[in-house]
Amino acid sequence: MEKANIDFAVGLNAYETVKEIVGKCVEAERLGLDYVWIGDSPAHLYCLSVAAAVASRTRKIRIGLGLLSPLLHAADQMSGGIISLIEAYGDRFEICLGVGDRSQLLRAGVDTKLTKVWDHVLKAKRRIARSLRASGVATEIWLGAQGPRMLAASRSFDGVLMNYASPRMIKWAIDRVKPVARQDFEFGIYAPSYVYGRWRPQAYRLLRIASAVVALGAPATVLNKFGFRKRLHGAIEELKAGLRIESVLRHVPAEVVDNFSIYTPSSRLGSYITELGDLGVTHIVFGFPQNLSKITIRDLASALSNQ
Amino acid sequence: MNLSLGLTTSSPFERIKWITERADDLGFYGIWIGEDIGSLQEVFTATSLILLGTRRVKVGIGVTSPLVRNITTIARAAATLSEMGRGRFRLGLGIGGLQSLFELGLDAVRSNALMRDVATLLRRIWRGETVTFAGDRFRLSNYYARYKAGFATPIYFGVRGPKLLALAGEIGDGVILSGPKRYIEKAVAIVDQGLRKRRRRRASFRFVVWVPTVVVAKKSDVNLAKEAVATVLADTPKAVLEMAGIARERVKPIRAMMAEKGVKGAACTVAEDLLREVAIYGSPEEVSLELRSLEEYGIDEAIFGPPYGRKPLKAIGGMAQAWKRLI
Repeated sequence: MEKANIDFAVGLNAYETVKEIVGKCVEAERLGLDYVWIGDSPAHLYCLSVAAAVASRTRKIRIGLGLLSPLLHAADQMSGGIISLIEAYGDRFEICLGVGDRSQLLRAGVDTKLTKVWDHVLKAKRRIARSLRASGVATEIWLGAQGPRMLAASRSFDGVLMNYASPRMIKWAIDRVKPVARQDFEFGIYAPSYVYGRWRPQAYRLLRIASAVVALGAPATVLNKFGFRKRLHGAIEELKAGLRIESVLRHVPAEVVDNFSIYTPSSRLGSYITELGDLGVTHIVFGFPQNLSKITIRDLASALSNQ
Repeated sequence: MNLSLGLTTSSPFERIKWITERADDLGFYGIWIGEDIGSLQEVFTATSLILLGTRRVKVGIGVTSPLVRNITTIARAAATLSEMGRGRFRLGLGIGGLQSLFELGLDAVRSNALMRDVATLLRRIWRGETVTFAGDRFRLSNYYARYKAGFATPIYFGVRGPKLLALAGEIGDGVILSGPKRYIEKAVAIVDQGLRKRRRRRASFRFVVWVPTVVVAKKSDVNLAKEAVATVLADTPKAVLEMAGIARERVKPIRAMMAEKGVKGAACTVAEDLLREVAIYGSPEEVSLELRSLEEYGIDEAIFGPPYGRKPLKAIGGMAQAWKRLI
């Protein structure tokens, strides 16, 4: 599935069963999507093993792994895993490195304040690239980035997956990355998404939560830059005080979190994609809750094929 | 008694693939894959490939170390593999080879407490509990798994010292023993004490032995067994040598030569009696018979290889045939 040289992907969070995830990936391939991205977090199933299961049941869809955090996985473990996958199932895999969700990492005993996380990620990238080269394997290594520092750091990667959805914020982020030396450098976005044919309240409610998580976790510099900081202040404080995200949602203005999600009826998706294409975006990952069911994945595929 | 095949993450991918494609048909009970820290393959991914490529054999990791992985990673990888194998997966946990830990700047102190904590916490995570824990080596803070661990994962202890062996009997689902034969006999007795201490039934527990096993087709193949023995002895702790009645002085030259000239040089210093005490080698029939004799000690499962033999694939096929004839 391709429009204006943009690859389309659905992001899958590996907290369902392996069987359910594989089923959705088989469906995504059947529907003509270009990629599936299999997420990784301390609370989810193990991304590399899930990827193996997906690859064993699909033929050509490309499989993105990550975001994989070097704070959880040693560089050798990540490169060893991807080399094995490529040897077994062919050159269909790419990885995205990044720090990861700091609150989830903290639950798993990894305190990101105690380590130079940026250095860690960049060192891991260099080591992985070296291992892949030594094994004769070529695969793209993306960086998952949101703040200005990581966006700038992404220049040394093959591409950047930006945690943004609004064209205004995407443009700002791309400007932070540029100039890039490589012509084939990929600008991708990965955002909570709900592209719908028939609107489903459950999916919308989940979209609100997922978008709020991204918005409230965004770096202060970004929130200040776009004038969101004051409007989210109350919710951020409540989160810090230990309240659950569902509880603070009422203090999160919808018009703010909408900036962090792709929320559109099928009929309007085309103009949004055109706008992103004009900005230079080449890869769009439709994240949770677009993956909620095979039906919501079909809604997305249908919207993309009708553009 | 069952015969399984052994692999390590240093095994070339082609060998893992060959074994995966044939293990069911060759009649092996299981495949165990050991994690060589810092090696080419990633142990959980390699295990996934084996599970996906087989239908019947049990597939185990023997072992991975909580010192080199976050406990939440071990928990979710094991849950993923258990679901993929629909109950065929077994998780081996151990501290790790002394040499590898030393190279990583890690030590094995308080390993008894670590192994107890890790096994207990893994089971709590798999039960869906919210876990908070603060230990010397790792912490968890209100951690809970968002996945559902639908299949029980048996935990095998790949340990060697007396305290850890007893702990295996107390809280493990099985133990993977490796070391000289006299040590194996004594180790089984210590694990049994742990089982009795907790009033656990012997039948609910599995004893697995993984010692260097080599099919020898011609006399010079014995060198392969010597190399394996040199590698094992160079990494064998004092307590294990004592239990086996092997004087430390006899191992010192092997370690020195290993450091100076590598495994081939060290193999030259392995005496005949040490070779016979640590390795099992000979024709497929002889190896099968000797492995089978371990049943007397109470062993339920033996692991064959690596290095298998000068021609590994032929040796594996030969062992499969010989074992079938024996049982």
